[in-house]
Amino acid sequence: MTTSVTTAAKPVARRTRAGSARRRQARAAWLFMLPTLVVLGVFVVWPMLQALYLSFTDYQVFAPARWIGLGNYQKLLSDPAFGNALVNTLYYAAVTTPVSVALALGLALMLNRPMPLRGFVRTAVFVPVVISLAIVAIAWSFLLDPDIGLLSYWLSKVGIVSGQGWLRDPSLAMPAVMLVGIWKNVGFYMVMYLAGLQSIPTALYEAARVDGAGAWPQFRRITWPLLANQTMLIVILAAISTLQAFDQIFVMTHGGPFFRTETLVMMTYRVGFKEFQFGYAAAVSWALVLLIFVLSMLQTAYFRKRAVTY
Amino acid sequence: MGQDNRGLRLTWRILTTAIGLAIALAMLFPLVWMVATSLKPESEIVSFPPKLLPTTFTLDNYTGVWERLPFTRLFLNTVVFAGTVTVCSLLFDSMTAYALARLRFRGKGVVFVLVLVLLMVPFQVTLIPLYDLLAHLGWINTFQGLIVPRLTNAFGIFFLRQFLLSIPRDLEDAARVDGASEFRIYWRIVMPLAVPALLTLGLFHFMYNWNDLLWPLIISQDASRQTLPAGLALFMGQHVVEYGPLMAASVMTLLPVVVFFIIIQRRFVAGVATTGIR
Amino acid sequence: MRLRSRGRLVAITAAIALMSTACAGQGQGGGDAGAANGPVTLKFWNGFTGPDRAAVEGIVKKYNASQNKVRIDMEIMPWDVFFEKLLPSLGSGTGPDIAAMDTAQIPQYAARNVFQPLDDAYGPQGVDPNALVRSAVDATTFKGKKYGVPMNFTTLKLYWNKDMFREAGLDPEKPPADWDEFGSYAKKLTKDDDGDGKPEQYGLAIADHATIAMWPILFWQNGGGVVSEDGRTATLDDPATIEAARHWADLITKDKIAPVGLGGADADKLFQSKKAAMEIVGPWMTTGFKQAGIDFGIAMPPAGPKAQVTLGTSVAFTLSARAVGAKKQAAENFFAYWNSKESQTYWSVNSGFPPNRTDLTADALKGNPYSALFGQDADKSRFYLAGVQEFQKVNETIFEPALQRVLNGKGDVEQVFGQADKDIQTVLDNAQ
Repeated sequence: MTTSVTTAAKPVARRTRAGSARRRQARAAWLFMLPTLVVLGVFVVWPMLQALYLSFTDYQVFAPARWIGLGNYQKLLSDPAFGNALVNTLYYAAVTTPVSVALALGLALMLNRPMPLRGFVRTAVFVPVVISLAIVAIAWSFLLDPDIGLLSYWLSKVGIVSGQGWLRDPSLAMPAVMLVGIWKNVGFYMVMYLAGLQSIPTALYEAARVDGAGAWPQFRRITWPLLANQTMLIVILAAISTLQAFDQIFVMTHGGPFFRTETLVMMTYRVGFKEFQFGYAAAVSWALVLLIFVLSMLQTAYFRKRAVTY
Repeated sequence: MGQDNRGLRLTWRILTTAIGLAIALAMLFPLVWMVATSLKPESEIVSFPPKLLPTTFTLDNYTGVWERLPFTRLFLNTVVFAGTVTVCSLLFDSMTAYALARLRFRGKGVVFVLVLVLLMVPFQVTLIPLYDLLAHLGWINTFQGLIVPRLTNAFGIFFLRQFLLSIPRDLEDAARVDGASEFRIYWRIVMPLAVPALLTLGLFHFMYNWNDLLWPLIISQDASRQTLPAGLALFMGQHVVEYGPLMAASVMTLLPVVVFFIIIQRRFVAGVATTGIR
Repeated sequence: MRLRSRGRLVAITAAIALMSTACAGQGQGGGDAGAANGPVTLKFWNGFTGPDRAAVEGIVKKYNASQNKVRIDMEIMPWDVFFEKLLPSLGSGTGPDIAAMDTAQIPQYAARNVFQPLDDAYGPQGVDPNALVRSAVDATTFKGKKYGVPMNFTTLKLYWNKDMFREAGLDPEKPPADWDEFGSYAKKLTKDDDGDGKPEQYGLAIADHATIAMWPILFWQNGGGVVSEDGRTATLDDPATIEAARHWADLITKDKIAPVGLGGADADKLFQSKKAAMEIVGPWMTTGFKQAGIDFGIAMPPAGPKAQVTLGTSVAFTLSARAVGAKKQAAENFFAYWNSKESQTYWSVNSGFPPNRTDLTADALKGNPYSALFGQDADKSRFYLAGVQEFQKVNETIFEPALQRVLNGKGDVEQVFGQADKDIQTVLDNAQ
């Protein structure tokens, strides 16, 4: 008798208790997120929506905006400056992303093994990450100056002469800003890879060694697949940041010579801040957001397909 | 045979050490150059052929910084700006990350996607509308204008969410069964476990805001609210650049972040390691 | 426990909200409250970061001390920072009341009604236009109204390094007088001793971007230019312009008399580090060149085939359209003080710029020899893109990149300048 009562009552009670617990959790969740939602909503999302609206207007900062529909976006399609900036952006990202990631992986593999001065080398590789690119770019510009730059001078001693200077030569300026971009960020990705390497159980390698597998097969069959998630995250983060390249270009070349290093963010800056065509600048940056979004989705899809789970 | 092997291993050891050292020096080279340059007189900086080390050693550039910039004031402003943003952002980011990683509620997907989208939007897009908003609030050239828009950060939320997903739930489930509140679980159980990740993110927030140029440059209007990088930008001009004081001030600006990093370095790498990101 | 945690969250959020409203209230309280009692405070921004900074600060300090009705609250920043901050701040009313800028930049803002016309600042009571350098006053004109009052005026002059002249077997006291001498001196002063195709010393430093206009001087000397004097027609594809561009581009690319791709600061640095023997630039570099221990001379740039002409350039005060009533009066009072005989003497002696006034005696200016030198031949100077509405687009977006293309051998002068000419004409027509 008593047992039947309890068994009948229990599921009901459990359901309501579960229901109220869930409601309680939901309420807690929104309270946890409240400060963030207020700050992001007011100071990020709202200006973003305004920028989105302005991209459909001829806003010139000083006068009220006038709705022109898709005018700015149509202009994008026929504007050679936009085409140029798009190509430069993709070129920059297509080189710096894989090179940074590959270098980071190589450095992480090297610095994951015990070796003398390991701590020092790790720190040295990471230091560029923590310092201001705007400031170091000034140093880089000076070092690369063809007339009084120390680096140019040393390079010329070993026979590498850049007649015009790295930053002034239209075909070398982009590689130069890429170099600085890679130098700046490689340490960050290296540390992420180091973290991934440290989470791989050493037992796997021991087993492989017992089977007589050499260094390369060990890398191919254990390290690389187990780093797949890490690689995905690093590649996506690297792609997002390289597609937004701005700082060192702003300081070192300002987009020149003749727009050879003008990326989309640089173009946004020029069109909006210097020519006051803010509506058009907003359209350029929304095109960039779309580009980043699509590429991130593609990358995610690509890595998901190849993801290995253990 | 064994002799050979040992010889080979020694060569390998020397080789990797040499390569490691070369890489380290290459990475540090611009910094070394900056420090060396800040100790040269102006005429030597622009002389040819260039040399790395100063032939005449001078500290004039460092004293020159104080003549040209209210350095102490700028330094304190930067500490207030970067420090407040770092502390507040860690709190708000972690609260949001906790909700996204640990709590079940409707709309979670939407919030997370929003965070991801915000990660992809370049800051320059929102600059003008944000400035107008702050001007409307009367927040131009104020600390709240500098700080409040930075109080939380999409990257921080994303980073901490990834971390929280990777730590086991056993402890908090037990606490939940015992009837502990969500805040208690967040504050007493999850946050202590997240210390390494919080330190790592703290470094990122700190260095990002310490180094940021465009934002403080545009929001501040005089030395009372300028930060160091914004103050440094005042050294450069289209036709007049004083490299000596500029490099001295740069070295003094970079130093705190480098020191901060070296202090937390060990725990920092551990922080990323435990993040595990899967 | 649960209650407490929620309480904390609510408290934090409430604090944020409160902070916002509190500060918002504060902000709106500002405005012109100071007009009724106490001095009128004017926010004044400019870009005099160079050696002339002290002279600017000196005059402002004197003005503030000379009376108690107006207080000038000045911020000095490099010109690029100045323009970065000016755009959002003027747009939202948090900007300066007085902004000083190169006269060529004024129309971009005037056309968007950000500045107010200052015609009534001129007159016997205020700034006497007849006592000032005529071309500097005229350069502030946009669509028939004056939007500025001169803050400074100067011409660009040729600097030459006397030691290098001596070493090259040239008379160190005799600068080149015409294009032939200019070109042949430059060739003699260019040295590539190691024969790697990259000279160790250049005859000339001339900037093709991020600079005060240097190339347009060469075009004018041949009867050409970037746009016509009335600012309505693009003249980049005029035969005179193309001929001048080709002549100098050849000397630079074939004879390597100057490096390609210099910005203004690079060109200065090149002359300063004794790697270039000549440069055309303004009086602001005298201090830096002296500090570098250079024995230099200053003269009118060599005469071209058609004209002896150099660049005249002026920074002018502008007044925000929002500064009305007492603020406007105060600003005009300051402009008049700045251009008084006393202030202009102080300015010239301390900055090396020539005075804005034409009625100061040589005796008054003898404290600084450069002042008189840069004031000479003011009648042979021309302003670059004066009155052209879209300075930025015409100069930085179209002209400079076109020039760089030519100097980098990416296209023939005629074809590149021809296209740029069309682009500039479109910009000029759209602004009409």
